[in-house]
Amino acid sequence: MKDRYILLIEDNADDAYLATRIIGKVCSDKVIVARDGEEAGDLLNKLAGDQAHHQITLVLLDLKLPKVSGIEILQSIRANPALRNLPVAILTSSDNDLDQETCRELGVLDYIYKPMTADRLQRVLARDKDA
Amino acid sequence: MAQSPAQEDDKVPIAYDVSGIALLYVEDEPDARNMVSRMLLMNYPKLTLYAAENGVAGLATYREHLPHIVVTDINMPVMDGIRMAREIKSTNPEALIIAVTAHSDTSYLMNAIDIGIHNYVLKPINYDELFRVIDKTLEQLLLKRLVQEQNQHISQSERQLADAQRIAHLGSWQWDLERGTMRWSEELFRICGSEPVPGSAPYQAFLERIHPDDRPVLGKAIREAVEGRRPLGAIFCRVVRPDGSIRVLRVEAEVVLDGAAQPVSVTGTCLDVTELKRAEEKVRSLTEDLERRVVQRTSLLQASLKELDSFSYVVSHDLRAPLARLEGFCRALLEDCGDCGNINCRIYAERAERVVRQIKSIIDAFNDLSHYARCKMVIEDLDLSELARTIIQGFQASEPQREVAVSIADHLPVRGDRSMLQIALEHLLGNAWKFTSKTHRARIELGCSGPEEAPVYFVRDNGAGFNMKYVSKLFKPFQTIHSPGEFTWNGTAIGLATVHSVILRHGGVIWAEGEVDKGATFYFTLEKHPEPGSFVRSV
Repeated sequence: MKDRYILLIEDNADDAYLATRIIGKVCSDKVIVARDGEEAGDLLNKLAGDQAHHQITLVLLDLKLPKVSGIEILQSIRANPALRNLPVAILTSSDNDLDQETCRELGVLDYIYKPMTADRLQRVLARDKDA
Repeated sequence: MAQSPAQEDDKVPIAYDVSGIALLYVEDEPDARNMVSRMLLMNYPKLTLYAAENGVAGLATYREHLPHIVVTDINMPVMDGIRMAREIKSTNPEALIIAVTAHSDTSYLMNAIDIGIHNYVLKPINYDELFRVIDKTLEQLLLKRLVQEQNQHISQSERQLADAQRIAHLGSWQWDLERGTMRWSEELFRICGSEPVPGSAPYQAFLERIHPDDRPVLGKAIREAVEGRRPLGAIFCRVVRPDGSIRVLRVEAEVVLDGAAQPVSVTGTCLDVTELKRAEEKVRSLTEDLERRVVQRTSLLQASLKELDSFSYVVSHDLRAPLARLEGFCRALLEDCGDCGNINCRIYAERAERVVRQIKSIIDAFNDLSHYARCKMVIEDLDLSELARTIIQGFQASEPQREVAVSIADHLPVRGDRSMLQIALEHLLGNAWKFTSKTHRARIELGCSGPEEAPVYFVRDNGAGFNMKYVSKLFKPFQTIHSPGEFTWNGTAIGLATVHSVILRHGGVIWAEGEVDKGATFYFTLEKHPEPGSFVRSV
């Protein structure tokens, strides 16, 4: 039996708390929070390196991050053969941040406006299953 | 001098027009004087004839009347014809004098030739002979007159040409290619800053007047025109006056060819265009100045736009993130503490969530405002009536229970940006819709008044209206003249500010009239051909 994880890449502690709370309501997957691109990279490599025991069910990615931007993280995920097919959903609080064109090219599953609701997350997860 | 009468016998006498010509006849014998006088008047009826009985009287008459022709006897008492002729000639060397003489006067005649007597007739007088001689003299006189007139014409034309050249600051020149000399018109001298000098000068002297920097160009152009046997188009060059001042000339020339198509001379003009060039220079420098100022103002404007940009970014983004957080916690509170024993927990959380929604709609409206004030405009032909109908249909669909009499004028063609005019009408009609919500028999009207070339559009309602003393606050963002809750809260009080900015960007103006509880009318104009970047022309 693999451990199922949702990777939440979010620099703001309040947003991370709110998202974690909603995830907890919707599914039993474990939540791992990365506060920036570096942490996200480390975690992804670790989890992907042990696919026998771990499975990442969803990456929730905030676009506006310190150091490495959300888009750059997404690009490196897609560039890594082990991670290429990870389902990624974007978390955002404003249209201004969204470069939809780039996101589409990088195979984003969905966009979720903050604050995320349980309904919204459920739909995203359902969509992932359909896909 | 004298011609044989026989030679001229068969010649048809020419009828000279002698009107205005005077003849003095001097003869001491009264019979002869009377007879000849009569014959002269018979032959030349229009002639003015003076008669005198001797040289002294003749001279006096001559001096008084200055007749054109004098016919005089030679041998006379008191003063003979020769002496009188000499006196007359000394007064007027051009005087035409015919002597009437007997053969015995031959010694006098030698004198007469010296004096310059024109012709003679022998005594006793043969009238045919006399008239022939007079005719001949008249012919000379009239020819002389003709030449004089022609000369006068020519000098008048020359004067006119010189005047015209002087007034037009147009000098002219002729370059004789064979001799290598050049003739200048008076005005060309003046343009070059010198006193006119008669005669001609070498072509090189002309080139030397030209500014050294322009000399090779002009010299080459003239040379090429001669070689190519074609006109010299306008060339601008500077001429340096002796005092060092510089004039700008527009030089044009044509090559004159002989029968064998060989160039013989070049005729050219030099127009002094210094003042014109100065004016051009002034216009150019004014334009440059203006452009510089426009650039300066534009950069100022761009700077403040940039500031506004970053401000709206702060508002739209940096505020949204914490706001979303706040909303998230409000929901968490509602969900997790909804069943809390203290009823206030739920009420506070609900209210806090409402406040969050208000702030969000303010941010949206603010973004609209800054967007429509600056976005790129796509200008197309639109019909305001059509736009308005669609908007009103939307309102009616959302509140089907409301009965509002809507009147929209047919076909209101305008040019503008569809989305911008759409949002403006949405706000204007939306206000009318909202502020008639408590009105019995509500009416909303979109119409057009004013002259066809400068139409004034209006949106009128019979709703809550407003007090005209607050009219100045209407179009300012975040200023509302209705209390919250008085009408359905739309969140912002930014709508009319957005309308204002849309109308301004279409080169128009907007103003409003209202009366409390009677209704409001919003008037606006639109520029006929708005530029994508146009702003209002006058406020």
